[in-house]
Amino acid sequence: MKHVTPELRSALAAEYVLGTMRGGARRRFEQFLRSDYELRAEVAKWEADLTPMAERLKPVRPPDHVWANIQARIGGTNLESAARKPAASWFDSVKFWRMLGTGFAALATVLLATLVTLRANVGPANNEPQAPMMLAVLEDQGDPRMVVEQPKSGLLMVKMVKPWKTMSDQSLELWVIPKDGPPRSLGVISQDKDSTIVMADMDLRLLDGNMFALSKEPMGGSPTGTPTGKVVCKGMIAHMPPKPIKKSPAQI
Amino acid sequence: MADPDFNEKLASLLARCGLGDKNAFATLYDMTKSKLFAVSLRIVRERHVAEEVLQDSFVNIWNNAANYAIAKAAPMTWMSAIVRNRSLDIVRRPRLEIQDEEEFFTLNLEDPSLGPQDQLTQGRDVAQVEVCLKGLEADQRQTISLAFFHGLSHSELSMHLNKPLGTIKTHIRRGLLKLKDCLNDHIEYSPRDGGRV
Repeated sequence: MKHVTPELRSALAAEYVLGTMRGGARRRFEQFLRSDYELRAEVAKWEADLTPMAERLKPVRPPDHVWANIQARIGGTNLESAARKPAASWFDSVKFWRMLGTGFAALATVLLATLVTLRANVGPANNEPQAPMMLAVLEDQGDPRMVVEQPKSGLLMVKMVKPWKTMSDQSLELWVIPKDGPPRSLGVISQDKDSTIVMADMDLRLLDGNMFALSKEPMGGSPTGTPTGKVVCKGMIAHMPPKPIKKSPAQI
Repeated sequence: MADPDFNEKLASLLARCGLGDKNAFATLYDMTKSKLFAVSLRIVRERHVAEEVLQDSFVNIWNNAANYAIAKAAPMTWMSAIVRNRSLDIVRRPRLEIQDEEEFFTLNLEDPSLGPQDQLTQGRDVAQVEVCLKGLEADQRQTISLAFFHGLSHSELSMHLNKPLGTIKTHIRRGLLKLKDCLNDHIEYSPRDGGRV
């Protein structure tokens, strides 16, 4: 798809969203979508333009058994059951993103894996369930590079999606950027492996955290206490609810 | 739908679904099921098929709610796209009994719960797309509306409208280009960002 003109790419994306692209052509297009970020962006633009028209359709109430079937398929009220089928979930996810077109298959897999961990954590077998307190996917121009997760107070886990080439003369330093104020350092992380960061004042540093960013710094970290080098990836922080999710009769 | 925070609510529910909150999912379903069922029903035309589409779509919404934030789309757009794609995947054809060719401007808009104020709160897109669609030539508008709402393919459109395939393709291509230009021209008048990336 890279070799076709922008006009043609846009036209194909439009026909995909409009629905006139069908059958084999649609499936081939979805394959291109998986690996072509710009094409996904083009589809997203057309979806933003055209799809809202569908919201003006006169609503039709679906029968109640539809909800019952959905409930059954997502594993009833047992959250752990979803975590026990990572293979099926992964498959669904890939299939889904192919279908959706605006997706990021790699990221879906990563997030799903994280979610599986998360759900395992909140499973009923655990007496003191603990979901991550915050979670972020750090991207480099739409390309997911790391997942940063705070599993509990005072601890951060950095998981590599795509490791960097090892740089012998530079370090990668993680920052949390609060809603207001300058970035706060969370220390230097490994360039090619997952890292665990433990800090006594971690929670204070993460307070009001809005975004994580990773910058290239001189060996050993920034000499000034603020980022001095290029930001190589960044991601918005998702804050998790403070209490674990509990079952209630309404979920049945 | 009259709630001005509708999209914000949906976005927050999706975020909670991403964390495995099934109460949030139940609320999300209740708030969107009838809209989304209508979207699918219009394309697949058979109730039992539309029910299947709705089930598949909501299972996908549940499984991928955590990715919603990355999609950078308005929540209804994101969910409608899922339902539309699923519908287009499994639709069986041909079914050419459609009569109301200018339906978008008649039956399709009969949502009594949507007043002008709601159009504003839902973002620029719905109202603006309508304005821009009206600016197309009748042939282009008819072809695009039929394709979008009924999920007709090129050849189905050709049979239904009794026009050569090439003519249909030209109507669509030119109509979409004109629509895009019109929407781009009006971005600055947007009352609110309705999910444009």
